[in-house]
Amino acid sequence: MAHIITLTSGKGGVGKTTTTANLGTALAMQGQRVVVIDADIGLRNLDVVMGLENRIVYDLVDVVEGRCRTRQALIKDKRFPELFLLPAAQTRDKDAVSPDDMVALCTELGREFDFILIDSPAGIEGGFKNAIAPANQVLIVTTPEMSAVRDADRIVGLVEAYEKGHPKLIINRIKPQMIARGDMMDTSDVVEILAIDLIGIVPDDESIVTSTNRGEVAVLDRNSLAGRAFHNIASRLLGNDVPFLVLEEKPSVLSQFFGRFRTRRT
Amino acid sequence: MEERITLKGSRDGLRLILHPDAPWTEVLDALRAQLDQGTSFYQGARLLIDVGERATTDANLQELLAVMEAYGLEPEALITAAPTARSAGRNVGLAARHPDTLRSAPALPANSGEGLFAWRTIRSGQELRYDGHIVVIGDVNAGAELVASGSIIIWGRLRGTVHAGATGDQSAVVCALELSPTLLRIADQMARTPDNHRPTRPEQASLEDGQIVVVPWDAPRR
Repeated sequence: MAHIITLTSGKGGVGKTTTTANLGTALAMQGQRVVVIDADIGLRNLDVVMGLENRIVYDLVDVVEGRCRTRQALIKDKRFPELFLLPAAQTRDKDAVSPDDMVALCTELGREFDFILIDSPAGIEGGFKNAIAPANQVLIVTTPEMSAVRDADRIVGLVEAYEKGHPKLIINRIKPQMIARGDMMDTSDVVEILAIDLIGIVPDDESIVTSTNRGEVAVLDRNSLAGRAFHNIASRLLGNDVPFLVLEEKPSVLSQFFGRFRTRRT
Repeated sequence: MEERITLKGSRDGLRLILHPDAPWTEVLDALRAQLDQGTSFYQGARLLIDVGERATTDANLQELLAVMEAYGLEPEALITAAPTARSAGRNVGLAARHPDTLRSAPALPANSGEGLFAWRTIRSGQELRYDGHIVVIGDVNAGAELVASGSIIIWGRLRGTVHAGATGDQSAVVCALELSPTLLRIADQMARTPDNHRPTRPEQASLEDGQIVVVPWDAPRR
């Protein structure tokens, strides 16, 4: 059976779409047949992040309403022939699609693809329910901020109520320097509150902004630390045991020495 | 004397059981009296109306629904085996359920009092309401809400909102391994965690002379 994975967060702007695009690409780079679905009807973004916005002819709503065959709406990626995007409609809203439509669509796609990644809209209303309905696995994306973690907690509760098994957690936009200064929650703080398994930690990376604007995902850039983090998550989704990146900077020997010196004096 | 009405928690929700043949006005008065004791506990609760074998008319049900609405209660379904009551329920827009479809409450061990036991994280947006004690093994996160007519015991971190003794029981307590609720209520008193409070050991909150008092668990007073 295909892996049908929904990425969701509750809060907007934590990086669901970027994560979906990067994981989809990373899985395709490992030889998987992948389709990424933008379920954010009316506010589509995934096409832009993947640099495919000027190739959209048909969209998700066209498929659901029978104006085209599913195949016709799938957009092939620029680089990877086994990676496809099913874009959202921009001129409609979430009510154009029902959870049953999404289940039927994913069942059909599941015969041809290994992985179906669904980019959920923010919020907990109809759009979220559409995105979650077909999933057999759920990834929660959050950032190490109290507001995002609070919303993630709410989403975890809802996902459990939908009996989608235990969701896994991706912590995005980690800033090691801020954690070192004690200004940001660290990974263990977040995991402690949410009490679910971690599947990935992604450092904050300015190159994501520029690559997103260019429609090129970070996993294509060998020098991008965020890209490496997404590759690792993709490997874990394939069942490999990959160690987590070490993001927290180790204090230098000198500062360790002075640190000790200071604590002794006080 | 037998109770005119009985309100009890069940797995399917709060269940209102009516006396089989007490006069209807007495039943309604008893309901009002019961609801007056714990308005906030019942506020927003969904009620299964169990009329049993009692003959019930449209007018009866409309009166009952009016009382419930006045106290902020919502009807979930009408439980009855009698066909006349079923059609009365339909006339006032209530779904009717046969008593046999109700799941019976889980068996409780002897000498324990009534309690609801949850072994999981209670998350933001989730709510536990129970007519009895609530025991949680796991964290109660900010944004979660627990309401009990008895005490609330958390074997974990309490960061959500809790209301113990919600029907007025002044002897109810709240205990947690880490007691830092957003809001803590016992009976009709209210307290919030001070901004600089970082509990380092288990604590217990209780009412003392009408005030909520928090003491470390290693010095229990009762």
